[in-house]
Amino acid sequence: MLEIEHVSHVYETPQRRVEALRDVSLGIREGEFMSFVGPSGCGKTTLLRILDGLAEPSDGRIVFNGRELTGVSRDIGFVFQDINLLPWRNVRENVEIGLEARGTPAADRRRIALEALRMVGLEDVANVPPYTLSGGMQQRVGVARALALHPKVLLMDEPFGHLDNFTRETLQIEISKLWSKLGTTVVFVTHDVDEAIFLSDRIALFQGKPGRVTDVLDVGLPHPRWEFNVRGDTRAIEMRESIIQHLGVRDEVLV
Amino acid sequence: MSGIVVAQRRRARPSRKLEPLLPAAAVAAVLAVWQWSGLFLNPILISTPAAIAGDLVQLVTRGVIFDPLAESLEELVIGGSIGIAAGIGLGLLMGRYELVDKVLSPFVNFLNATPLVVIIPLVIIWVGISQNARLLFIFLITLWPVLLNTVAGMRNVNRGYVDVGAAFGLSETDMLRKITLPAAVPYILAGVRVSAGLAIIGMIVSEMEVSLTGLGYLLITYGNSFLTGRLLAVVFISSMFGVANVMLVKWVQATFFPWIAGAAAEQR
Repeated sequence: MLEIEHVSHVYETPQRRVEALRDVSLGIREGEFMSFVGPSGCGKTTLLRILDGLAEPSDGRIVFNGRELTGVSRDIGFVFQDINLLPWRNVRENVEIGLEARGTPAADRRRIALEALRMVGLEDVANVPPYTLSGGMQQRVGVARALALHPKVLLMDEPFGHLDNFTRETLQIEISKLWSKLGTTVVFVTHDVDEAIFLSDRIALFQGKPGRVTDVLDVGLPHPRWEFNVRGDTRAIEMRESIIQHLGVRDEVLV
Repeated sequence: MSGIVVAQRRRARPSRKLEPLLPAAAVAAVLAVWQWSGLFLNPILISTPAAIAGDLVQLVTRGVIFDPLAESLEELVIGGSIGIAAGIGLGLLMGRYELVDKVLSPFVNFLNATPLVVIIPLVIIWVGISQNARLLFIFLITLWPVLLNTVAGMRNVNRGYVDVGAAFGLSETDMLRKITLPAAVPYILAGVRVSAGLAIIGMIVSEMEVSLTGLGYLLITYGNSFLTGRLLAVVFISSMFGVANVMLVKWVQATFFPWIAGAAAEQR
């Protein structure tokens, strides 16, 4: 459905030339939950931004439903790590921003935004300024803002990276539930291995310098995941171990 | 050991309670010393708070202050608001169009760096000794800070907001209207405050240097007559212009842009 074909990305800083991605090829299947896992600076976020059309590949291409992707697609939604809700708009108006860009009439915008807020359990705070919300609630608004466009693909860039553990686990369950309810394809960037195992159908492992995909794993655990103890599951523990070994985290710590 | 801790806490408590009163106490102390100095200092030097207050009351009850005050206010409001409006307008153009910015910025930076009092003779050559000269001078001195701040505000939009606009497909016009302009408002307001402060200075200076009118006329007249009490009463009124400016900008921000304080508090 979403094909990443030989994508490379190089950018220049005044000091040096950075090879963020080298020849990455990966197919994302319709309806699956795919995570990109790897250490910081291995190109996960760069690839996600390329998938959203926020950045362009230096080489290679993205094919979305048989057509080469150029620029921002209306069928792809993005959830940022730094949510950056606009403080001069209330929560509902923040969710409406993508609909405004599409020229949706005001009444419809309002209805769709409230519906999206209801999906993340926030219809009660539709009219408050975003800076009065907790970090977890703001992140939910970020999800609603993307969902309001009814995207076929939802790209999420370490959306829970800034949250405390309790909020993070609650939101993981909520995202998992939303995903199974809506059937949206999700591409999820994280450096938290447990989070990736809990949420994903497949996990692409990234390694850095230059950034590349070194393995793609099938998680193979049954859904829904929130109904059993994923973290204590033997298969999950083994997978966690092999991912950590593969990414070389152990070796680096020992050396 | 614990005894020491308790003692320290007891000593700390009253000072914390009195702390909010400290500024008022400092002002009262200075006023008291000033008043006391009147017992042995020549009143022409610095007068006394009580005498100045009395003169202030007289300026009002005898109606001496009203015409000059009205003249000053009129110049300030007309010259200042045209200057601020033009500054924001030009700033928006320079912020929006790289070309305009490149062409205008050498002139803007040069004039902003110039202590503009020096152009008063030129202004008089242009439009003669008249109210127009005073208005033109206030306009010219007001323009720059708000202009430069508007440009800076549009150039320094939080990268994350721009990303959001791009990811959600905003057109260039919408990006400007819905992201760049609102994000620049805090800068613009700060520029307005500085510009309005300069407008007040421009008002007084032009009333003293171009032609004697308004509060500038009163200042010069009382100064030349060694009426120090009245002179300082007018100085006090001039200070109130500055205070009103700061309060007005604060009010505009709190009333129309409450999100500025809200978002800033969240950053902390």
